[in-house]
Amino acid sequence: MSVKTFERGVFLPHYKEFSEGEPISTIALPQEVIIPLQQHIGAPGQALVSVGDKVKAGQKIGESSAFVSAPVHASLDGTVTAIEPRPSFTGDKVESVVIAVDMEQKEPQWPERDHTALSKDEIKAAIKEAGIVGMGGAAFPTHVKLSPPRPIDTIIINACECEPFLTCDHRMMLERTSDLVEGAKLIAKVVDAPNVIFGVEINKPDAIEALQNKIAGENGLSVVSLEVKYPQGSEKQLIKATLNREVPPGKLPLEVGVVVQNVATAIAVYEACHLSKPLIERVLTLTGDAAANPGNLKVKLGTPISHVIKERGGVKGAPPDAKDELQMPPHLVGKVIMGGPMTGWAQSHLNVPVIKGTSGILLFSPAMVVESEHTDCVRCAKCVDHCPMFLYPNYIGLYAEMGNFDEAAEWGAMDCFECGICVYVCPANRPIVQFVRQTKKEIAAAKAAK
Amino acid sequence: MPGQDIQLAISSSPHLRSQETVPSAMKDVLIALLPVTLVSIYMYRFYAVFLIAVCMISAVLFELLFRKVMKKQATLYDCSALVTGLLLALCLRPGTSWWTAVLAAFFAVGIAKELMGGLGWNRFNPALFGLVAVTLLAPLYVGANPSFAPLRQYFGPLDVITQATPLALIKQGAFEQLSLSQMLIASPGGALGETSALALIIGGAYLLYKKQIRWHIPVSMIGTILVIATFWGNPLANIAAGIPLYHIFAGGVLLGAFFMATDWVTSPVTTKGQVIFGIAIGVLVMLFRKALGPTEGVAFSILIMNAFVPMIDRLTRRPKFGELPVKKEAVVPTKPSVSKST
Repeated sequence: MSVKTFERGVFLPHYKEFSEGEPISTIALPQEVIIPLQQHIGAPGQALVSVGDKVKAGQKIGESSAFVSAPVHASLDGTVTAIEPRPSFTGDKVESVVIAVDMEQKEPQWPERDHTALSKDEIKAAIKEAGIVGMGGAAFPTHVKLSPPRPIDTIIINACECEPFLTCDHRMMLERTSDLVEGAKLIAKVVDAPNVIFGVEINKPDAIEALQNKIAGENGLSVVSLEVKYPQGSEKQLIKATLNREVPPGKLPLEVGVVVQNVATAIAVYEACHLSKPLIERVLTLTGDAAANPGNLKVKLGTPISHVIKERGGVKGAPPDAKDELQMPPHLVGKVIMGGPMTGWAQSHLNVPVIKGTSGILLFSPAMVVESEHTDCVRCAKCVDHCPMFLYPNYIGLYAEMGNFDEAAEWGAMDCFECGICVYVCPANRPIVQFVRQTKKEIAAAKAAK
Repeated sequence: MPGQDIQLAISSSPHLRSQETVPSAMKDVLIALLPVTLVSIYMYRFYAVFLIAVCMISAVLFELLFRKVMKKQATLYDCSALVTGLLLALCLRPGTSWWTAVLAAFFAVGIAKELMGGLGWNRFNPALFGLVAVTLLAPLYVGANPSFAPLRQYFGPLDVITQATPLALIKQGAFEQLSLSQMLIASPGGALGETSALALIIGGAYLLYKKQIRWHIPVSMIGTILVIATFWGNPLANIAAGIPLYHIFAGGVLLGAFFMATDWVTSPVTTKGQVIFGIAIGVLVMLFRKALGPTEGVAFSILIMNAFVPMIDRLTRRPKFGELPVKKEAVVPTKPSVSKST
């Protein structure tokens, strides 16, 4: 089997063993869901409901008239109790619709239809109506991505799942292979792309086999095995590995005739087209060395992460108490992360909701938490050797630390996608990703001031 | 509300770290220096132990002193003072007086490192800076300046260079006295760190294996010296006499190539820059050897090139991902990947 990859990058420990064997399962309903009106890159939505309204699962409750945006839907039947700013995973407060969930409710039934009979415009309309965004984390509205200004010849389904710990895409590839392939075909149809490539890292041989069996004999579909290397699932690196095309700095994949979509997104597209089902739930991985019962869970959007953690037995060694309160003893759990360990966000409190882009909830024991101070750069060049964008993280960090943001940008800060490798390999533990974010902010502010 | 009263660490991504730290890297360098240190102790016995102890202890003390005076946090845990001290000792000749060693450590750790801002900010390799400083000061002291006369009486001569070094022997055309195999395995003459080429090669291989250094600087530096030593004069006769190998095994070339020129802080971070840096050092070493006296050529060459590192980095910047045109193919025929992260 030939295995492809990109240049540089880093080999990370996988940590997938906690949850990769766990079939997708569901958890009990939460008492309350918090639906942020903005869960995507683009314009925020306006609430379509008022406090006191009864809402049904799947009902659209927020929308914007802007093109680059996606509507949001109630994920469960219930009553709107508040429309107010609530903390999101980034720590910022986001205007959200809070719904008190009816404890007696049935899974909604979605009318089936023949998705293969849908036209391109009908598919795109269904995707927009369903509120689908990139579910790998970036959360860019999918219907926008599928409206490229130039021809696309290849759709790449990003099935790398290169972040350690996360296994939800892997499980979906195994359990929903057919839906994934159908979703990918729908996406390809929208942009008239003749080729569909499933890019899978070879630490998921069962997924590669399942996909190969499913697409056998189909024209234009192929599975490409990829080396297990981070960040293989970054769009530009994935395109380089599978097609040997390089997206120029500051440009999008469509520049080289490619659109990349994640596994969960493709399945959501299938559900939107086949069942007219809006995006109201997603599969995520609850895991980490401090998780009592790691697993891959289908969770209603808006569910507070505290509820997800509690339903899976809480923290290892500290189950929920007699009053069913979640216990988070500091000697057992040191960090809670939303997303993957390389690009995810550490959480300060646990009432933040699961949203469309939430691929994981990680519980780290205190032993996994790195808290040493950073020292001066020793110019070891390990960051330079590993940077998948061929930048100079050492100089970016040095100049940003001095406040010379123009020079930091000169050494590549604006082309950084914050994969975190430079920090991972840095022997001086320098927070280079923070320096990059600061540089981007300062440069944007300087541009705005002009 | 659940989960309100909790203490969780908040930090920016990424949330994973490799095991690599500055102290662990410095310890790798110390381990890599162990073979040559042992050979030098075997060769020079007490003289070697004495110099190594004086250099390492004074390097540590000067770091403590300078940081205390400058009101900075102590950084002994990073072990860089120990590395500098040991490297410095390996650059000195047996019989060097204790106070010469202390003075060299003062210049190395105090001036070249701490006054420049501490580890990471030093422009010049500290150990080589210390070595060169005392080398340059020696004539001043040993020379005619009468004000130093009492000092000289008290301390004795600044440096004891009595033994003919292999390099000096080459210069005199008397290199038959030392066989290549002797020089490779172990032979007295020169500094502590010049006693065994094999021990240095083992140390360098260890650093390469542990990925603490890359091959570019040692290979380009040694390769350049080999080429120039071969083609300077009659290539066939040179090869027949083994002169290129003498140039590699003698006079601190291997110590310089594996342990000094590859110093993280004072070498380029770009791949192209590292190759240019290595070649330039090799050229300078041979110029010094052919044109000037046979001593300290390697130290001077590396220090001179240290000064050019920021310029080299700037001029050899690689293009960013996607900046170069790629040969466009619709779907590239599958071939096993050869690229590796280094």
